[in-house]
Amino acid sequence: MNDCKGNILIVDDEKGLRLGTKRLLEEEGYIVTAAENGTEGLQYGTTIDFDVAVIDLKMPDIDGMEVLKEIKRTHPDTVCFIATAFASYDTAIQATRIGAFGYIPKPFSPEELIYQIELGIKQRKLILDAHRLEQEREKNLLELANEKSRLNAIIKSINEGVIVINTNGDLAYYNYSAIKLLGLSSLQIGENVLSILPEQINEIVTKIFRSDKIMLKSFSTELSLNRENEIFLEAACTPIPNPDGSLAGVVIILSNITEYKRIEIIKNQFVSMVAHELKTPIAAVQGFLNIIKDETLNLPVDKKKEYLNRSTQRLKSLTDLVNDLLDISRLELKTKQKEIIDVNLCDIVNSTLQMLELEIAKRELTIDKNSEDNLPFIKADINEITRVVTNLLSNAIKYNKRNGKIFIDLNSSQNYVILKVKDTGIGMKDSERQKLFSEFYRAKNENTRGISGTGLGLSIVKRIVDSYYGIIEVDSEYGVGTTFTIKLPINPN
Amino acid sequence: MITDKIKKILLVDDDIDLLEQNKTLLESRGFQVITAENSEDGFKTFQKELPDAAIIDLIMEQMDSGFILCYKIKKTEKGKKIPVFMLTSATYETGFKFSTSSKEEKEWIKCDGVLNKPVVIEDLLAKLENFNYQ
Repeated sequence: MNDCKGNILIVDDEKGLRLGTKRLLEEEGYIVTAAENGTEGLQYGTTIDFDVAVIDLKMPDIDGMEVLKEIKRTHPDTVCFIATAFASYDTAIQATRIGAFGYIPKPFSPEELIYQIELGIKQRKLILDAHRLEQEREKNLLELANEKSRLNAIIKSINEGVIVINTNGDLAYYNYSAIKLLGLSSLQIGENVLSILPEQINEIVTKIFRSDKIMLKSFSTELSLNRENEIFLEAACTPIPNPDGSLAGVVIILSNITEYKRIEIIKNQFVSMVAHELKTPIAAVQGFLNIIKDETLNLPVDKKKEYLNRSTQRLKSLTDLVNDLLDISRLELKTKQKEIIDVNLCDIVNSTLQMLELEIAKRELTIDKNSEDNLPFIKADINEITRVVTNLLSNAIKYNKRNGKIFIDLNSSQNYVILKVKDTGIGMKDSERQKLFSEFYRAKNENTRGISGTGLGLSIVKRIVDSYYGIIEVDSEYGVGTTFTIKLPINPN
Repeated sequence: MITDKIKKILLVDDDIDLLEQNKTLLESRGFQVITAENSEDGFKTFQKELPDAAIIDLIMEQMDSGFILCYKIKKTEKGKKIPVFMLTSATYETGFKFSTSSKEEKEWIKCDGVLNKPVVIEDLLAKLENFNYQ
């Protein structure tokens, strides 16, 4: 009923007037309910929320004032008029006090009635609008409160520390992470925190405060705090502007960068070790050449020849080292796409043994190889697996005793293919075994003298095995021998 | 002549090529050279032979094997009186930043000088000459 102009209640015991009014208003487009006495008026008025009610003051059963009172009590938004022939100033005031919007003196002309009803409808609209606006405002306030508490919950739960201070250096906001990262026991909103904050942060904040014009950028600093363990923090201090452009305060974001620092240290150590390992063979070659060139030494020809051979050997090791470094770099960067195919580990062991035949013969070693029948294939990159096998077998040759043995065993469990390489070599002490897979670690003792290696081989082996979610184990007894076991998943997925 | 003050020199290096090179160079200048290939043997040889100078490789079994050997030598009566030099390719440009130029560094690193690999014999002789023998 969108085209309906309003819902009207007429309460009047005078039949002619009641029906005339009803007809008139209906013609005007209103829906009209007519009550013929106070009782009926009360019944309608208290059950239906009318837009406008016109109530006759004098009725035989219940007084119009009573009807008005009850309607206003049950439906305060219904706009009520009192209509009466006994107009008096007092009744008007009384009616208004009870809640009447207006007073229509009888008799009234149709125009006058319509005019009053239209006023009433307008009033009704205003009342409803006001209600709606109020509800909306309340809803918005609720949303705002929710938003605020949500934002608060987010800031409180992030790992980064957040501290906001005003231009006096008083604490305006903080989260728990800030307390934790700074190692403080507590913070108080409103307390002056500049002196509590680490010196470096204090300096930046003071610089921001002292600056003539507000700088809309962050100022970062790294600081280390020594507690039980040293932790490194990055503090980013950003000015907060007021709407007028003046400085409101500073927000400080604290991040824990300890892990990055640790990685940086490891990286620097690695680079230093690489540089050292590259420089040493160069120095050795240069030293030999200097001696060969030095005529004052009167070096015999065969000595010179020997030194040239040894130089060549050192350069070969240097090349191996560079290749190993490149391999490590490739494995680390994972730039090289693995070409995954079905790989028969037994075939790889056989071809590697063939390749190393000369070295095996030179050291007069015996190979004892056992393989399970129908060993399952593994899904892997054949070059990488060959690299692993070559490394383990050449170690078993290099570190073996003359006339020693190499036991090779290939078998499978439910998910893995297992390769065991056992030698009868010099073995390792526990302390040596622990460092076995670290870069550039080579056991150095009288037994390893003259055995060349880059110190990267097993580190590469481990990286490859790890990349297939495989397992590498080592068992060794000093002076007796070493056993390497690698377990490679049949299907790494 | 430096050979009047120094007759016997101890060389400690786990790189047998460098050890032989330095031995050849020093012997050609008239020194008697004794060698060891690790820090443990180095200290034993030092105690047995009591050399007049020692040249020690820094990185052997451990990153700081040379420093520790040097420290042990400098704690002995003989060690206090003789020049002990560290030999290394791990100098400034490889990121191992140390030198013996400042007093504080000398406090920590007890050696009397650092030599770069490969050894330039003239530099070594100059360093031996400049050592303040008591």
